[in-house]
Amino acid sequence: MFKRYELHNHTTQSDAGITCRELIDLMVKDRADAFAITDHNTISGHPIIRRLLAESGAPIQCVYGMEYTTYYGHILCLNLSEYVPWDSINRHHPELLFEACKRAGALTGVAHPFSYGDPFARGCRFEMDITDFSHVDFIEVFNNPEPLHEVNEKGLAWWESLTLKGERLAVTAGMDLHGAWDMSMHFATYAEGEPGGDAARELARAIGGRRTWISKGMLLNWTIGEDSVRFERVDVRKPGFIPSEKYLMTLTGADGVRTFDITSGALELPLSDLGEIEIPKLYGGETAIENLICVAPVIRR
Amino acid sequence: MKELYRVEGTLNRGFVGQITYMVCLEQPCERLDVEFGFDADKQRYRPEEVTPELIADTMRICREKYGLTGTEEDARRVILNDMKTEIHTLATLNDAFIGCVHKQLTRRHMSYDGVTASEGCIPQPRFEGVLKVTVLVFNVLKDGTHYDLTVRGE
Repeated sequence: MFKRYELHNHTTQSDAGITCRELIDLMVKDRADAFAITDHNTISGHPIIRRLLAESGAPIQCVYGMEYTTYYGHILCLNLSEYVPWDSINRHHPELLFEACKRAGALTGVAHPFSYGDPFARGCRFEMDITDFSHVDFIEVFNNPEPLHEVNEKGLAWWESLTLKGERLAVTAGMDLHGAWDMSMHFATYAEGEPGGDAARELARAIGGRRTWISKGMLLNWTIGEDSVRFERVDVRKPGFIPSEKYLMTLTGADGVRTFDITSGALELPLSDLGEIEIPKLYGGETAIENLICVAPVIRR
Repeated sequence: MKELYRVEGTLNRGFVGQITYMVCLEQPCERLDVEFGFDADKQRYRPEEVTPELIADTMRICREKYGLTGTEEDARRVILNDMKTEIHTLATLNDAFIGCVHKQLTRRHMSYDGVTASEGCIPQPRFEGVLKVTVLVFNVLKDGTHYDLTVRGE
């Protein structure tokens, strides 16, 4: 099965308007399979959510994390079991912090890399110089409340450019929730898992294997056979998703972008048609970013 | 509660970084309060402080960093509505994290009573050893921004 993760959420433990209890209620109501708590520079919500989930038996799991909110960019940390200090943050060598978080067993990624920072809000834009991406697990390509063209389209282009250069980075999306917001037709992160499985471990496996989807509610899945690759659309029944009458799929590789009609629901291509790296994306209607529905895991041959 | 430590300081415009204070708790405490505040009237620009130079500088930064080509009125809105002095506080006890307050407050308390704690903070049954309080300075708009920090325990 595919599990829906909401990976970027704040509570009153930092600067949001909803409590830990209200965050759980909202996620249950919106039928997420798992949600992360990623308050700014604090893990004080972790024991509260653990207790609330244990008491309520709510049908949802939590991924415990934090958003490192530094002067030079925000770093999302997931499966963070202990606070890792960031007071030696080095703008020109952020790998030190990524490494420290990874040593603590966490998944680390760049949050909303192209948000507006100074003079609007210092630290919101990622202005650190990463020279070694092997320390980075993922990039939050879609931060849903941010402007589509000025921020998220640039985030997607950055991730695609790094991917085509051979970097291995998972793709994630998040609501950056600071209130009881409507999540319909916004991107969530999806990963494969088992019913009743440990969502945090399954997420670690998915991000570690660079096999995550971001989607508004329809996934583009692919499976490689002996001499062909089969693509199919999967409706994951995200609340509020509006289906389209026409679906197009693109494959972005070193030689450019190719477009295919996948309105019928499935499509098969010979393996020989694929380049070394292909980024599959699904659109509802024409291939404009406004119509983007899903970014699928990268195909590497 | 008894005052254990009090310090005051002044920040200059443009400073970014941390200032850390370490307090040796000579007696174990069951309750602790860390109060931090800075000049509320220096958190934001007042309309009369928005000079043509500040507008020009803001327009240049927005253009160079983000490709934004707004009007002087847009820049004025950014200066008055978005730009702010932003300072957070973080505390550790014997190097273990016990809380950080991220809310945009000009005065805040990190309070612990043994069972509960302020939002952003993790309740602690007892305080002994070394308390480290770090002032995280994200942005300072004006020279001479005064701050104070007080640690109280019981």
